[in-house]
Amino acid sequence: MGLVYALIAYGFQLTYATSKSINFGQGELVMLSAFFSLTLLNFGAPYWLMVIGGLLFGAALGLVVERAAVRLALQQKSEGWILLSIILGLLGFSAAENIWGRDDRPFPTPISADALHVFGINITPLEISVAIGVFAVMGLVELFKRKTLLGKAFEAVSADRDAAELMGISATRTIMLSYGLSGMVAAMAGILIAPITTVGPTMASALILKAFAVAVVAGLDSGFGVVLIGIFLGALESLTSFYVGSGWREAPGLILLILALALRPNGVFGKAAIVKV
Amino acid sequence: MLKRFLWLRGAEIFALLLLAAVPLWVSNAYALGLLTLLAIYGILLIGLDVSVGYLGQVNLGHAAFLGLGAYAAGLCVTLLGWGMAGALAMSVLVGLLFGGLLALPALRLAGPQFALATLSFSALTTTVLNEWEALTGGAQGLSLARPPLFGTNLTAHGFYWLCLVLLGLVWWVMRNLLASQWGRAFEALRDSPIACDAMGVGTYRHKVAGFAFGSALGGLAGGLYAFNFQYLQPQSFTYELMVILLLGVVLGGRKSLWGAFFGACLIVLLPNLLSNRLLFEMIAAAGLLIAVIAGARAYRHKTQQIFQSLAPIFAMGLLVIGGLLVENTENWRKAIFALMLFSVVVGLPDGVMGFVATFLVRSLGIVPARIEPAARLDAVLNQPVSDAKPLLELKNLRRYFGGVKAVDDISLTVRTGQVHGLIGPNGSGKSTLVNVVSGLYAPTGGEMLLQGVALPMGSLLKVSRAGVARTFQNLQLFGELSAIDNVMVALKDVYRTPLGLLLLGLAAADERVAQAEAMALLALVGLQDEARSLAKDLTYGAQRRLEIARALARKPALLILDEPAAGLAKPDVQTLIVLIRTIQARGITIVLIEHHMDVVSELCDVVTVLDGGKIIAEGSPEYVKRDSKVIKAYLGVVQEEFAEPLSGKELPAC
Repeated sequence: MGLVYALIAYGFQLTYATSKSINFGQGELVMLSAFFSLTLLNFGAPYWLMVIGGLLFGAALGLVVERAAVRLALQQKSEGWILLSIILGLLGFSAAENIWGRDDRPFPTPISADALHVFGINITPLEISVAIGVFAVMGLVELFKRKTLLGKAFEAVSADRDAAELMGISATRTIMLSYGLSGMVAAMAGILIAPITTVGPTMASALILKAFAVAVVAGLDSGFGVVLIGIFLGALESLTSFYVGSGWREAPGLILLILALALRPNGVFGKAAIVKV
Repeated sequence: MLKRFLWLRGAEIFALLLLAAVPLWVSNAYALGLLTLLAIYGILLIGLDVSVGYLGQVNLGHAAFLGLGAYAAGLCVTLLGWGMAGALAMSVLVGLLFGGLLALPALRLAGPQFALATLSFSALTTTVLNEWEALTGGAQGLSLARPPLFGTNLTAHGFYWLCLVLLGLVWWVMRNLLASQWGRAFEALRDSPIACDAMGVGTYRHKVAGFAFGSALGGLAGGLYAFNFQYLQPQSFTYELMVILLLGVVLGGRKSLWGAFFGACLIVLLPNLLSNRLLFEMIAAAGLLIAVIAGARAYRHKTQQIFQSLAPIFAMGLLVIGGLLVENTENWRKAIFALMLFSVVVGLPDGVMGFVATFLVRSLGIVPARIEPAARLDAVLNQPVSDAKPLLELKNLRRYFGGVKAVDDISLTVRTGQVHGLIGPNGSGKSTLVNVVSGLYAPTGGEMLLQGVALPMGSLLKVSRAGVARTFQNLQLFGELSAIDNVMVALKDVYRTPLGLLLLGLAAADERVAQAEAMALLALVGLQDEARSLAKDLTYGAQRRLEIARALARKPALLILDEPAAGLAKPDVQTLIVLIRTIQARGITIVLIEHHMDVVSELCDVVTVLDGGKIIAEGSPEYVKRDSKVIKAYLGVVQEEFAEPLSGKELPAC
């Protein structure tokens, strides 16, 4: 579970790196992609085709968010993107409610959910598949960033937007790219988590808060720090729901987030920026 | 003048009286319920506007404050058996307290992090209200009876009038607050928090106070909400309500009491609008029409980007088409909110009331309020004292960034009444030195004394309050404020009325003095005719001079000018030289960082030259100009080197 938080948080990092903005409607992106993938499956598409379709859908939504909510605000150097991306999320939520209904639906998967006993811990192959999926996606994106020209452009814009523009790299396109990638990562998270949580309009609303928490606690520019914090938060939640009560399982992430913001605004693994005038 | 007063105040009083009179001839209980809700949401949105409009933060936690206030009032009644007044006071207190508690850590953050913090706070509140069943009844909800107010039981009419009176009171207090130095500071710190601190206006404390105040209003609205519905459920205060509240504020118009009121009307009427098919279609069509007209106008005048015109048309078109296709508009409620909000945020950033207000002011010919005539400059700035005693002493000051020694062991004395030049090539550490002295950076080591007393370290605010004012190399004006407001934000020793009296509108005398002093300073820098212009609309040279006027408003002992002539045209440079002379003659000591050597030679009594973070020369301008180290630092080569015989047998590797 913690790894899925980490994956979504990683999606935030991608867009934050290039544009210093994140999509507050990312949870709806996760949910919509999961619904779309489910529909593909119901039409009889094979599993691999569904994954590709879902990822493309996620990327497309990411681009829509960038175009409709982020670009204008960035041009105006305002923080309007926060509000606009929330609004788009709400629109997506409402659309999902009406198109697919408000009920949760099961998400079929070829992988078994029967528990295995490894070293005395109960673990299901489903959970292992989530872990593998998360690392695979993050690994692929990192590989892309380091080994391809486009990926290097991405890194250049993250490091210094103005300098990159002077070198002939279009920052706007790179930001588009980052939103596309981020949407894809969100879609992957949706496909991975759907068999466990089932698919419904609210499937991601709890998820997304914790992904925010992970991203902020780790630092929005912390790279793989999100994985550590994600696992930590996942474990903390299980403990809380076991000892305090399942209704309280949302609480530690939220408290952690507020505490982290208060004590280390740049995150446990983040870097502090020097103010210049 | 009178006309302005009549229109503005008259409209407010008329609206209030009209609202109060409605129940006298409409006895429909449903309508009365809506009106009561309108008053409550009015208070709520005025509170939200403090953080969203004036502080410019995206606040996603206001629904939680409504909930906290509601539960606080509810519990006071059910558990403690308090009356209405006590319970309402408690809900205000709870809002204030939690608002302060959240703001203390959260407002150190900017932008997305702040939004996230408020979002988590709101989710946390819902969780606690849901799970603490022993106290709140959890998801079952909490029922309460409306308690008596000072011993009398209120009828539905009575309760409505109470809500209305409170709305009027909140409106009045808010207007007083916003018209004072507090309101100006709220707006200023959105534009440049750094300059706010440097001008002695504590960014952080103003933010926290503003946020807590807004939250307290949220709490008050919550208390009224509890007594109105007499039944509370945690689910009522979630994310969806928050989005609706934001819709209200943004659509109504940020930074406007009328905007908040209009937003409240909209929120209250929305459910009815949506359930009536025909009405909804009409509104959607009207929205589309407005979007098309506004878009076409903007396109013709090229005032907006194409996206800004097209996106609202697209969204509104979607609303019209959707309205025709969809069976039940209620189910699509959230999507409808989203589309409306989207159009407004993109196409009409000032909201409906912002648009209407501009239109009314123009068409009714309402003139802006009169500004007080300038005070005598002598009354504003000190009399000359030029005793050449040490004013600022730096001893072994160091500031390192990692391995870079930006300021490396600098000892320096600035004497009273002098203009002390600070020059050096780019990257020599001038700006860092100034940033350390003014408190932006804490020094790595060393001592700083102002008039023999240790200068606070690493705090712009404290340094500013100790009597040091500065300007910025890259301008840090409050762009959205007028020139006179820029100066009035920084003005020292004027605002004496305690906050309590100020909220009751008893600070007009302070305002008049402040305006007169600000006008005197504007006249000094030659901007008396631009007092009403927004700072961002001034010419570059005027902006530079406005920064100086604003720094002078601090009535400083020491004024640091960071490259005031950078980018100025020749005639402007001459004006600047005269201005600096005048300031010096008023007994203010000046540290001048400058690249223009002619400005430095003409003005400075003493010049210190920095290179590589160290002092390489000090003395009169004439002396310094001839110093070989200085020439080397600037030009890289010294002629004597060529004249010297090559030492030893080694040839220089070139």
